[in-house]
Amino acid sequence: MKLQRLIMVLILLYGVVPFVLNGNNYVMSILVASLTIAGIALAWALLGNLGGMVSFGHAAFFGVGSYISALMTMKLGVPVPLAMLLGGIGAAVASIAVLPALRLSGPYFALAILAYAHIFKILATEFASITGGSGGLLGIPALPTLFGYNLGSKLGAYLIITTIVLVFAFIYSRIRNSYYGFALRAMHDSEDATRVVGVHSTLLKALMLFLSAFMTGIIGAFNAHYINFLEPDYAFQSGWTMLPVVAAIFGGYRTLTGPLVGAVVVYSVDQLILKSIIPSGHQIVLGALLGVMILFSPDGLMPLLGKKLGRRRAETVRTPQTETIC
Amino acid sequence: MFDLILQSLYSGLLSGGSYALIALGLALVFGTMKVINLAHGEMVLLAAYMAYVMESRFAVSPLLAMPLALVAACLVAVAVYFLVSRIGKNRELNSLILTFGIGIILTNAILITWSADIHSTSSTGLQEPVTFGPFSSMLSELTFFGVSMVVVAALWWWLSRSWYGRAVRAVSSNRDAAKLMGINPHRTEVVSFIVAGILASVAGVALYCTGVIQPALGSSLTTKAFIITVLAGIGSVPGVLVGSVLIGIAESLTVTLFSSALQELTGMVLFLLVLFVLPNGLFGSTRRRG
Repeated sequence: MKLQRLIMVLILLYGVVPFVLNGNNYVMSILVASLTIAGIALAWALLGNLGGMVSFGHAAFFGVGSYISALMTMKLGVPVPLAMLLGGIGAAVASIAVLPALRLSGPYFALAILAYAHIFKILATEFASITGGSGGLLGIPALPTLFGYNLGSKLGAYLIITTIVLVFAFIYSRIRNSYYGFALRAMHDSEDATRVVGVHSTLLKALMLFLSAFMTGIIGAFNAHYINFLEPDYAFQSGWTMLPVVAAIFGGYRTLTGPLVGAVVVYSVDQLILKSIIPSGHQIVLGALLGVMILFSPDGLMPLLGKKLGRRRAETVRTPQTETIC
Repeated sequence: MFDLILQSLYSGLLSGGSYALIALGLALVFGTMKVINLAHGEMVLLAAYMAYVMESRFAVSPLLAMPLALVAACLVAVAVYFLVSRIGKNRELNSLILTFGIGIILTNAILITWSADIHSTSSTGLQEPVTFGPFSSMLSELTFFGVSMVVVAALWWWLSRSWYGRAVRAVSSNRDAAKLMGINPHRTEVVSFIVAGILASVAGVALYCTGVIQPALGSSLTTKAFIITVLAGIGSVPGVLVGSVLIGIAESLTVTLFSSALQELTGMVLFLLVLFVLPNGLFGSTRRRG
């Protein structure tokens, strides 16, 4: 049952979607961008759900990943796939700077990481000799050609980001079901009690932070090679934090599919509908959405839908049963 | 060079005044409700835009916008309180996300209404230079430093002497015990939000009169206020005052000695240092935070 559903999703993502939408460049580019957000949203949810930390600074990891990968390819001639990996590692290393904030509980961590996001943006602007400063980097090498197929095309980029997001989702689910995931979930209920049982809670939280930063960095690196251009105001813009937060909360950050579905829905609606109605300031609706979700369904849409569907399924199961008895 | 350093110490001191107002509002609400209002900077910014509206539409001094700014900031504060108090479970983290959302709404509402342009006061009276020996500043900076000191003193008096102020402190230190003493915690929370709104409105008008405003400023104001409260350690009015002046001076020294682009970085570096070395803040009690 579960395997069947997985195979269906894979066929849909790798077969049906590219086949149907390939001709439409605009929709494809929105899809790629929404999957980019989905990847960050997943990394954010990993930190939020397993690590129990709300981050308002993922833009920092995104930007660091994109800059490192872009500079590696441009200045050192590193091949793009390797550079993307280095971008991820760089973002994880950058997250070391956030480690002292792990000592702080909930709200303090969230605000401390918000402050860090500002730092990295200023650094990228100020170290102009390396990063090109506010003028930005032009002509970042595109995604490579593999087996004679140009991955830099819209379809190629779609296939790459889909694969990245799926791999991340797989890693996430493996961690969640492992011993570590169990320990992390136990930490939600009582960190002190978990510590007494012998779980190194700070180390586990730090590992989640590294992993989340690593994932976000890779997504950032992908985006840099996909759009071939970077500037500090773009790479570190607050949107890279805000959209994933809205997506994860909307979809339900405690679930695996929630952030992914949330990102695709939120981003497409934002770009296709809201942007045409309110050209500047269309994100006001996203802010309102965030507020409404927290107030009325803090667990997000997916669990809510699941509950509704579950009830209906329970009802439909009950009726045939009575028939067979008769 | 020495003159320049003296001068930057002076202007840092002056800007510390309005930083204190913003930080105290944030700390007050955190004290009573254990909620960090991420929309606090946007509240200040909204008050600043009220001053801008008064000046650009009605051609009156932005100082006269005070009542309007007061109403706007307090209305937003009460609205934030009302929404935050409706959060059912896991209030600590959910309130962060909620106020983050409110911040987005306010930033974009400001963007839609007044566009992304940078505004500053055009009143020449406010920008008039005032010089004492080696120190010089704009009249508005000096005025608002005075005003903030008066407001901070009033706040200090209110917290230590008046019934409601003491209720706020009681709820901050132990909510259940305060309830047993006949204090209505909900009303106290509303009061703390309104006081935060009042502080924000003064800070907002000061912001417009002494500097430039733009829609994206809100979140960096919140960050700055938060850095100051960490620096000071929660729960000390004089601590916040010293922390604000420290940040103000550090910032203006950075601008004088290095570059104005690094101004924001100074606060962050100080913040990092405090986190590593003195996690309880410069004036905090030895109690573990959080």
